[in-house]
Amino acid sequence: MRSILDRYAPAPAFDEFAGDDGRPRPYYEALAATLEGISSTDFRHRVTRINDVLLRRGVTFTVYSDARGTERILPFDLIPRIVPASDWNGISRGIAQRVRALNAFLVDVYGEARCLRDGVVPRELVYSCPHYERESIGVRPPRDVYIHVSGIDLIRDAHGRFLVLEDNVRTPSGISYVLENRDVLKRSFPRLFEGYDPLPVDDYPRRLRDALLASAPAHVGDPVIALLTPGIYNSAYFEHTLLARRMGVELVEGSDLFVRDNMVYAKTTRGPQRVDVIYRRVDDDFIDPLYFRADSTLGVPGLFDAYRAGNVTLANAVGTGVADDKAIYMYVPAMIRYYLGEEPVLENVPTYDCSVDEQRSHVLANLDSLVVKRTSASGGYGMLIGPMSTAAQRAEFADAIRAKPREFIAQPVVTLSAHPTVVEDGLAPRHVDLRPFALLAGDRVDVPPAALTRVALVEGSLVVNSSQGGGSKDTWVLGD
Amino acid sequence: MLSRLAESLYWAARNVERAEDLARLIDVTAARSVDRAIDAESRWQAVYDVAGIVPHSDDGPDRGGAIERIVFDGDSSASIAGCIRIARRNAIGVRAELTTEIWECVNTLYLFAESQSARAVGPDGVSSFLRAIRESAQAFGGICDATLAHEDTWLFLRIGRFLERAAMTTRVLRGLEDDAGPHVWQLVLEACCASEPYARARQQSFDPAEALGFLVLSASFPRSVRFCVREVDEALHRLSGAPSGTFANAAERTSGRLASSLAFTGTAELCAEGAAGAAARIGRELEELGAAITAAYFPRIPVG
Repeated sequence: MRSILDRYAPAPAFDEFAGDDGRPRPYYEALAATLEGISSTDFRHRVTRINDVLLRRGVTFTVYSDARGTERILPFDLIPRIVPASDWNGISRGIAQRVRALNAFLVDVYGEARCLRDGVVPRELVYSCPHYERESIGVRPPRDVYIHVSGIDLIRDAHGRFLVLEDNVRTPSGISYVLENRDVLKRSFPRLFEGYDPLPVDDYPRRLRDALLASAPAHVGDPVIALLTPGIYNSAYFEHTLLARRMGVELVEGSDLFVRDNMVYAKTTRGPQRVDVIYRRVDDDFIDPLYFRADSTLGVPGLFDAYRAGNVTLANAVGTGVADDKAIYMYVPAMIRYYLGEEPVLENVPTYDCSVDEQRSHVLANLDSLVVKRTSASGGYGMLIGPMSTAAQRAEFADAIRAKPREFIAQPVVTLSAHPTVVEDGLAPRHVDLRPFALLAGDRVDVPPAALTRVALVEGSLVVNSSQGGGSKDTWVLGD
Repeated sequence: MLSRLAESLYWAARNVERAEDLARLIDVTAARSVDRAIDAESRWQAVYDVAGIVPHSDDGPDRGGAIERIVFDGDSSASIAGCIRIARRNAIGVRAELTTEIWECVNTLYLFAESQSARAVGPDGVSSFLRAIRESAQAFGGICDATLAHEDTWLFLRIGRFLERAAMTTRVLRGLEDDAGPHVWQLVLEACCASEPYARARQQSFDPAEALGFLVLSASFPRSVRFCVREVDEALHRLSGAPSGTFANAAERTSGRLASSLAFTGTAELCAEGAAGAAARIGRELEELGAAITAAYFPRIPVG
């Protein structure tokens, strides 16, 4: 019998599974032993079966670029990614530190703006950020919490060092895959767990609910939570339904809510019902047509007034997008030093700010070796990967950078770490990232051991986004 | 519960019930119309009328056309494929209210109805396709009853299911000619899955009046109009908490009045009106009940 592991050749990058000697790292040894006993054919059957299960469950996302709104399952890779306790301790400390600093920055930037006066973050960068919400200036969210939920994307460089690639502090998604992947893998391939006891992920919804309750408006006795979704056509709708079900809260659309006397109510079969905390998965621009985009049908007229009056908690708060702008990102290590007086646990990827003259010249001269990103884009859209680009693409980006330098940053190509992944004829290394999620409750940051590993299924690709052909893996965080 | 969700539950259940009833009707009609004693064309026309679909003028009401238009036509909202699509669309909207087992049942039903392999059955395989649809739809009802707390979510599903079932029974009866013979009556009973229960209840030679009475007035047969209306009436009263025999809104008044009238009608009275006439009248009263439920609980534009 040919084992699935037989022809695995480690990647020319940091290989998560194999050490420099080509042997499995200690915390992968038990998994390697199990995999030795499994044939490629058996493996392929399991892949097919699991994809059927995911489709039946409706674990799908909608592809926006596809006019028919096709539902696809996020391809699930059977080989779990293992994060040993020694790595996870640093990660969770670093994430907690970063989220505290980012939240402090938001409190400051919409409050006294000390960091701008002290030159920690350039004033013009903040004022030119499209997600800097002037309406939010002077509005203090309950308990000063802006970033109730965040997802921080980490990658590993050639030395295996974890670096922060980007912060997602608006409406990060992906936790449903973490929950489903674990459940599906346990049901369909329990043998893989032999020798392991990964920390459970399934209490994430409870922890999320606790965090939301902790930042309810102070005067409310028994707060009612609702999850606000843009609706069934949103790419993360499945996740919204899963979280609402597991938290036991109502899943609402904008048209289910209304505001009267600065209070938010749901329209129910028994008349209006007060809502105190809204975990909203609708972007700032769309939450209230009276203040933001007037053409939005996803929001609730008057919601911002209710929020400003302190009668409802919005999670995340309005205006968090200024903190995950890709140019502001460069200043997060400085924020950590400034607000917390600590050294960053997790470092950034070196980044060039195209709005600074000498940095821009460097970027323009080295487009073929850099990755260029739009500061306000997400989802892997609007990127130029220099080494894989054509001259025409580079020329196009060069023109765009010269025209609107504030909208671009550039980074050296970091070869993401790689992990054994199921391919047509066995296992092969594919690049992965890691998105841990953080929950901020008051001044306490909870980093549940529920992190999403995304994998670029195309050989050599460094783009892991689901909208760009990425898949996901169950991620086992090991206890001490 | 949110009005939008209540409405989606109601329509999800109505459409699953409709898909089940249409599947049974078409399967029975296809099998029965093989007999010479049955005028196939008029039976297929009756099926079109039940479905509310007009046959293409050039193909006339026959088996092949009916299966194409009433079973598989995904663009129609009245076909079986259309009902299943609408049921799933509504189930997605209320996904957070449903148990995972209910959702998987609807989603599996949809994926099956849409799958090329299920559709490529050819004319002789349609019966097994229809049986699979019917069984999945029945499983939906069973899973709802067995996995949901019997509270508002369940009650709205139940109202949708039984209102649609009552309406389907009246639609099948509406297409009966006054002089319909025992073969046609047998087909109608089977289309309502009433043939064996009827035989058991009335151990005597066949009598059209008795069959009509059974399908409309039986207190214990779960597809009779009376039984279904009583279920709707009870569910409505449980929703509002109003005691049976009273009413808290126009929906309960309509359901209560209809339930009482069916409980106090005799078979002879019904026969005097004629099967088609009585069924048409009761059908209109069920439409009024649907409108009253919409006005009371979800005064919005329907989804789908």
